[in-house]
Amino acid sequence: MSSSIIYVRTYLTRILLIIGCIATLTSWYFVSPHADIVANELYNWNVNIGTFSLFVGVVTLFSRYLKDISSRKEQWEYKFLGVVLIPIWVIMGQTAGVFSDLYQKAYFNTKITLHVAILGQLMFFMISGAYRTYRIRNFRTLLFASCTLIIVVCNASWLMTPFPIADKISYWLLNNPSMAGYRAMMITGAIGAVVMGIRILLGLERGALRATEAR
Amino acid sequence: MAKIPELKSHHIWAFCLILYLIPVVVPVGSPFQISEITLKIYNIIENLPEGSIIVMGGSGVFAFDYEPGAAMIASIKQMAKNKLRLVGIPLGMESLQLHKYVVDTAKVMQADGGPWKYGVDYVQLPFIPGGDAALVRLLTSVQSVVTVDANGTPLENLPLMKDFRSYKDITLWICPHWGYPSIVRYVTGERGVPSVMFAHAYSYTVYAPYMMIYPDKVWMTNGFLGGAQYEKLVGFKGLGHAAVDSYTLISVAYVFFVVLGNITLLTRVKKEEEEAEAKK
Repeated sequence: MSSSIIYVRTYLTRILLIIGCIATLTSWYFVSPHADIVANELYNWNVNIGTFSLFVGVVTLFSRYLKDISSRKEQWEYKFLGVVLIPIWVIMGQTAGVFSDLYQKAYFNTKITLHVAILGQLMFFMISGAYRTYRIRNFRTLLFASCTLIIVVCNASWLMTPFPIADKISYWLLNNPSMAGYRAMMITGAIGAVVMGIRILLGLERGALRATEAR
Repeated sequence: MAKIPELKSHHIWAFCLILYLIPVVVPVGSPFQISEITLKIYNIIENLPEGSIIVMGGSGVFAFDYEPGAAMIASIKQMAKNKLRLVGIPLGMESLQLHKYVVDTAKVMQADGGPWKYGVDYVQLPFIPGGDAALVRLLTSVQSVVTVDANGTPLENLPLMKDFRSYKDITLWICPHWGYPSIVRYVTGERGVPSVMFAHAYSYTVYAPYMMIYPDKVWMTNGFLGGAQYEKLVGFKGLGHAAVDSYTLISVAYVFFVVLGNITLLTRVKKEEEEAEAKK
């Protein structure tokens, strides 16, 4: 692709992003029918792009897997399985319908059952990890281990039944110390995202919107 | 003091497996109390006027959302008993399958001997891609985002959808999915529609502060335990009751292994101190 096309694409995308940002922010903070129309139109675009990206995702995955299978790349066997299963699921979804009993049965008895089994194993990893890491060697590990244990114990039915206050203690801990830390992380993360967004728009970050990478 | 040997992972694995198997073979019937919030949610749904429209919606992964499914199934039974109406709005890829699973398991449709008639009391919309943008559009105008249900039937042919045009027609939004922040932000925060999250044990610890931020607008149950509590209120034993025994045993094991880890550490330190003393 010639560098001029990349420049045009990059600047058009930047302009679109700025219009989207301004329209969304204006419709959030002010009552403006014009901003609402633009924001609504962009929401519709977003929905359509979301649908289209699903289709593109399936096609891209399929073509990439086919390439890897033909060159016998690492783990090609799993990709082969994917290449066989993707059309089967697509055809089943298109013919029987994703809301049909057949599709539901097939989906539940394969993907969901396996996924639930994997999630069930998480408890083992958590217990094994807790056994090794929650060893109180200093004040910090004491604090770390005790916070976790309090939340585990206060959410356990064997303690909540004889001591209903445990539920309230856990709720207070979640609403106060936990929320304070969580909010601090969220706010700093959001500020970071805004700064990163501005840097991307200005072409200061590496990525699709840095036109100078065409050189 | 003798050193306690370090346990290998496969010992802990075998122990956990036995704990998981115990309730399968011998149901323990762990006692549990009904929390105030679960009771509050139950009473809210119980006191809704007949014909109120409740939305079950959000986005998440089915296997994760299996846990909130326990309370969702129980609440659907309650809705059907109280002649409430339900619309499923899946905003995640697998949410449609979860919605079908909970409604089928609740056995409330006429085909299963229940009172609900599809299209009149319950409508399932198809998966709606687009995330928050789709949700915002849908709240403004349902028919501008979707025109057919999950079976492909035009919405104008479904009597329930004639009464459900925008967020103004929603009495309560129930989210049995991971993606609750979007619901709180756009449904409850911006538009004032009360919402309930049938939360996972983990998401409860993360999202519980929403109940403090929106008092009397947001309520949450707590994982399988919350599901079992809801089942008890509705009067049947389902997924929640089946899981709560394992839940209890594993939470005891968690504490046990943390204590054991610390005793192991303590004996090692003592042993090292004794060896150092002996060398002197």
